[in-house]
Amino acid sequence: MTNSMNEVINNVKNIASQVVINEIDEREIKLELNEKEVINVLSYLKGNGFSHLSLMTVVDWIAENKFEIVYILFSWETGNKIIVSTKIDRKEAKFVTIKHLWPTARFYEREIHEFFGIEFKGNDDMKPLFLEIWDDIPPLRKDFDPLEYSKKKFPDREYEKDVIHEAKIIRGDING
Amino acid sequence: MTILKVAAVLLTGFFFGLTLEGISRKVMARIQRRYGPPWYQNFLDVFKALSKIGISHGWIFDFGILMALGGVIATLAFVPLGNLVAFPGLDNLFIIVYLFAVGALGMAMGMVGSGNPNASIGVARALTQMLGYEIPYMISVAAVMYYYKTASVSTLMLSQQDKWTLFKMPIGGIVAFISLLGMLGKKPFDTPIAPAEIASGPMVELSAKYMGLLMLMHTFSIFVEVGLFVDIFLGVSNYWTFLLKFTVVWIFATLISSVLPRFRIEQVVKFYWKVPLSLAFIQALFVLIGWVF
Amino acid sequence: MDERGIWEKIADKLRSKSLWMLHYCTGCGAMELPPTMTSRFDMERFGMGPMATPRQADILFITGYLNTKTLRRVIYTYEKMADPKYVIGFGSCTLNGGIYYDSYGTINKLDYYLPVDLYIAGCMPRPEALLEAFNELMRMIRNGEANGWKKYKENYEWYKNNQLRSLGEVYVHDEFHE
Repeated sequence: MTNSMNEVINNVKNIASQVVINEIDEREIKLELNEKEVINVLSYLKGNGFSHLSLMTVVDWIAENKFEIVYILFSWETGNKIIVSTKIDRKEAKFVTIKHLWPTARFYEREIHEFFGIEFKGNDDMKPLFLEIWDDIPPLRKDFDPLEYSKKKFPDREYEKDVIHEAKIIRGDING
Repeated sequence: MTILKVAAVLLTGFFFGLTLEGISRKVMARIQRRYGPPWYQNFLDVFKALSKIGISHGWIFDFGILMALGGVIATLAFVPLGNLVAFPGLDNLFIIVYLFAVGALGMAMGMVGSGNPNASIGVARALTQMLGYEIPYMISVAAVMYYYKTASVSTLMLSQQDKWTLFKMPIGGIVAFISLLGMLGKKPFDTPIAPAEIASGPMVELSAKYMGLLMLMHTFSIFVEVGLFVDIFLGVSNYWTFLLKFTVVWIFATLISSVLPRFRIEQVVKFYWKVPLSLAFIQALFVLIGWVF
Repeated sequence: MDERGIWEKIADKLRSKSLWMLHYCTGCGAMELPPTMTSRFDMERFGMGPMATPRQADILFITGYLNTKTLRRVIYTYEKMADPKYVIGFGSCTLNGGIYYDSYGTINKLDYYLPVDLYIAGCMPRPEALLEAFNELMRMIRNGEANGWKKYKENYEWYKNNQLRSLGEVYVHDEFHE
């Protein structure tokens, strides 16, 4: 960890009551935070060099019944990267917008709403961004079965004979 | 007799023009180290386009295309091809320039009538470009007309017995050639039909027979533009030497266009109004004070 | 057998010699076109060339996968083209979905929605395969076998129903064009 990073991390420890620090690389750190303190930490980080929001995305932890919201921040001065993440309840998927910190987050939040069904309080513009006429549960949730959906909507080609099966018989992988 | 002559001029325009376009595609292919299409490819393209089943966009569209083709054919009938003059005594430069505008305006009207924004952009660009090249061209040709004291194209051609105008007024010749590149829509000046930006501009809504007619119109207008340059600047010629000179000029324009990238429209106008226009004024000044080689 | 008149036969011969292509390059297959067009394989010697607009094009060339969003635009484009028109499906994605067979957004076979005259199998087919296919298409046009555009007119109801089944609605709504 570089010196400048150390300083920032120490300050984050003062702001947030509980924080798990994961050192991924010399210049890359992951902070797992409490749901309520994320916005404070993000606004502190934005004021201290990490002014660039590289990505905002979501991971679906279906076994834990949680959504992990991930913000990746980048500093143009030092080249350091901080990944801020928090877990929210999967059943009541609601979170607060960061539109006031990074205006670009508006589109990330629209996308997340579209693909995971998470609502962001404070962001009213929740029109679908990529999908047109979507009629099922949000498609990137782990409980969505893409194969079943594809079979239902887009018919497969029916082959007259199973060529691969025949080839296996000829090669001797399968008997008769 | 006049009818036969007009038919001869138009048939020359059709066969020779389309053949030369095919040859220029071949030349361009060879420059890019390709084999290239056969020389008769443009005939196939035109007839194929005429054989398809197209979509009209209303009567303004239809009428505009007929006006474009008719206007250009009418213009071509007045252009002397060497010693083949369909209307002797009427081949005045002003008549030709005046009639040529009919074709351009017909095309603009028809294309805008299709209602596609790309077509409107293309037409706007074409007219802007016209503003660019017409002024230097007209000034350099006006210098020639002033020198020979006539506006008749065949008289202009016949009065070059001793020496070609190109060598008498080299600056004017160069200016006219650069303007010719713009008229032909050759590469540095092909802004109006930029396929990658505005989907081939004015032609964007043309399907089937409309496309075929417009390709014919393009061929005929090439014949008018290059033919005028050959008549005014490249000395006395009969029918066959006219075609030879025509080929040389056209292939030279192709060679230039195949190695250059494209100007933006404001760059086109800036270029024409800076370099060729000032050169044209210098040439006119030389003619006025009698400095002609 | 052959019901075409003499003019149709001549016209088909001309059509096979001068094919203008509209590439729908949303898939990775677009990468195989530059070598086919440029000096190594030089498609122009068959009279083929790229066209910028559907109105002038003869071939609609689908290079790879289509999802529901792009399929809507492709149907629009196809219906804008002037008859006779031909469709070539390029790569295994247009054939049976390829590696996107289980994707929620990607269609599995193109001929369910549009009349495909010719498929080129492979992932990716090389430029040689493309030229082979173009020659085959030219042969088909000469013999009057490339009748996809007639089939589309005759079975318009069937194609429209299929399109509606997968897309819900063919009309294009677009945030950036409203």
